[in-house]
Amino acid sequence: MKVFHQTGYRDKWNIESYQKGVGDGLVFSPVNIDADKLLALDESIKKTGFLDPQLYLLNEPKGTLHTYPYFPGNLKPDFTTPDLDDSHIHLAKLCIDFQLQNKFQYLVIPTRYFEDYPSSYFVQSTDYFVTPFCDYLFKKSIDKKVLLSVIVKSIMLSDEEKRNEVLNWITGHQGIDGVYLIFENNFSSKQIKDFEYLLNALKFIKILKDNEMEVHIGYCNTEALLYSIAMPDSITVGSYENLRSFGIKRFQDSENGPMRSPNARLYSTKLLQWVEYQYIQAMKKLIPDYEKFFDDSEFKPLMFTPDFKWHFNKSEPYKHYFFVFNNQIKQLPHSQIERIEMLKGSIKNALKLFTDIENVVLLNDDSNGSHLSTWFNVINAFKKELSLE
Amino acid sequence: MIKDCKIITEIAKGGQKTVHLAEHPELGKVVIKRGTIRSFTSLERIKREVELLSELKSDFYPQQHHFYIDVKLKEFEIVEDYIEGNVLRDTMKQFRTRSQIFKLLQSLIEGLSIIWDKNIVHRDLKPENIIIRPNGVPCIIDLGIARFLDLESLTKTISPIGPCTPIYAAPEQLSNYKNTIDPRTDFYGLGIIALELYLGVHPFDPVYVGNHFSIVENILQQKYVIETTDIKADTALEEFARKTLQTQPYNRFRSYQMLNSFLSKYI
Repeated sequence: MKVFHQTGYRDKWNIESYQKGVGDGLVFSPVNIDADKLLALDESIKKTGFLDPQLYLLNEPKGTLHTYPYFPGNLKPDFTTPDLDDSHIHLAKLCIDFQLQNKFQYLVIPTRYFEDYPSSYFVQSTDYFVTPFCDYLFKKSIDKKVLLSVIVKSIMLSDEEKRNEVLNWITGHQGIDGVYLIFENNFSSKQIKDFEYLLNALKFIKILKDNEMEVHIGYCNTEALLYSIAMPDSITVGSYENLRSFGIKRFQDSENGPMRSPNARLYSTKLLQWVEYQYIQAMKKLIPDYEKFFDDSEFKPLMFTPDFKWHFNKSEPYKHYFFVFNNQIKQLPHSQIERIEMLKGSIKNALKLFTDIENVVLLNDDSNGSHLSTWFNVINAFKKELSLE
Repeated sequence: MIKDCKIITEIAKGGQKTVHLAEHPELGKVVIKRGTIRSFTSLERIKREVELLSELKSDFYPQQHHFYIDVKLKEFEIVEDYIEGNVLRDTMKQFRTRSQIFKLLQSLIEGLSIIWDKNIVHRDLKPENIIIRPNGVPCIIDLGIARFLDLESLTKTISPIGPCTPIYAAPEQLSNYKNTIDPRTDFYGLGIIALELYLGVHPFDPVYVGNHFSIVENILQQKYVIETTDIKADTALEEFARKTLQTQPYNRFRSYQMLNSFLSKYI
């Protein structure tokens, strides 16, 4: 299973990590990187990754999106959605040509975002994106693998009819090799703790794999570990929270407004949890060998020095996360059943470690591994679905 | 052209059309189809079928020689090749072993892939619409209700059931989920045909399923048999049925290449 960097603001951190051998490639974000700058990037950085075209909102040229030739505003001034009727073929050509020019590993068909997806969503997506993209690829005899972007809304997992509709749509396109799958995250907690949601997400991935499609899951947080038991082809690591959880706000200008800075946190592969720095400081005071709960990396010594100023804008916790999480993913067994058992073992071990910690330091709900019992139950339920019990 | 033909016999007569076997001085035996155009939809379906057949230069499909529409009388006439051979319905006993059935399926898939690659779904695969030529090559006939995925659908959304022969139809046809129609709809028809050839009976027949529902209701409830008291189940055919006779298309083979590769393992 591959690990891609979900890039965004501060993509420099991802590129630096990738150049040091962390991860298998990068997913590039037009909102954050100017098209010319992306074109100028060294081929070695791009050839293993792909572009997320980010046509989620056609009329919001946030950040550097307007620098991309295929962005609708560049096809026609004052572009409105009905203009897609006349411009979708041209858009497909420009979008593919741009991706080809950058020599990415995969070509990606974009998707639009809807708050409440309309009944015509799949027909329109086929007409505006899938068909013109596939036609152009066929015309140019391009043999690169093609991924279809799909945003999976919660209702597509929970409602059987909608789930059937989206799965039939995805698997019905002969011209694509796989999906760039994005689970929309509307949960208020930092970790997803919804049993049904997580189990349905695993079943969704499994169905796509049963259809012999490549499944690349974007915007992953630590749930990537859980998703791994459905055997996807790749997951992502990202720095800020908006790269580890998909929300449309990231593509709306409103996000530029005042934001509350999150507290700095550090990921531990042993605890399967990001832990807020205040609790790390408490642990430092109260648990003599507190460092053992956290992984070693080239960034650890600096972060654990007394005068390290924890701040969410500092690179070290994120680069540490890229490094240790990538290693954790790479250590997963190739066999599904072995992977399941290993993850269950890791969860049990993490729960035990939390018991040790909470004998002395109480943690809040976003740091105490409270998602792990749900994970454990989801894994067992999924294993039962697979008839591996 | 028709006036040059000498009618030999009437082959079939239905509500909308009559089919005659005739002799043409240069082409030899031909089939003449005549009928009435009852609506814009039926006219459009006929035109699409004719245009498609004129494009398909393949032994898997009949060749078209003539097409004429009389707009005033709202009538059409078509002259196409007479296909020597027997319809599969009459030659089912030739295809009873797994190997014979899978070879026939591979041949059908080779023929159907020609239209699937053009984004066209046959939608009416059944033993009556397959003629086995003397050389064993199947000829697929009656593209009258084929769905052209690149063209506007002619099926009314409010119809409770889409165009089909119900006892060979996939659930999405029976429920008229027209946006779900794609080549996997034809895979379903092939699944029924394969099991029917093997068992000698329709796999959704309530007599064998052991319930009081109709074949159509059993299709919608995914209740079928893989063996009868006389015929024991075959594991490969069972697996083939499991991967074609699924209610949801996403649970079937995704592409004809995957379907073909499955069959190849057993031939």
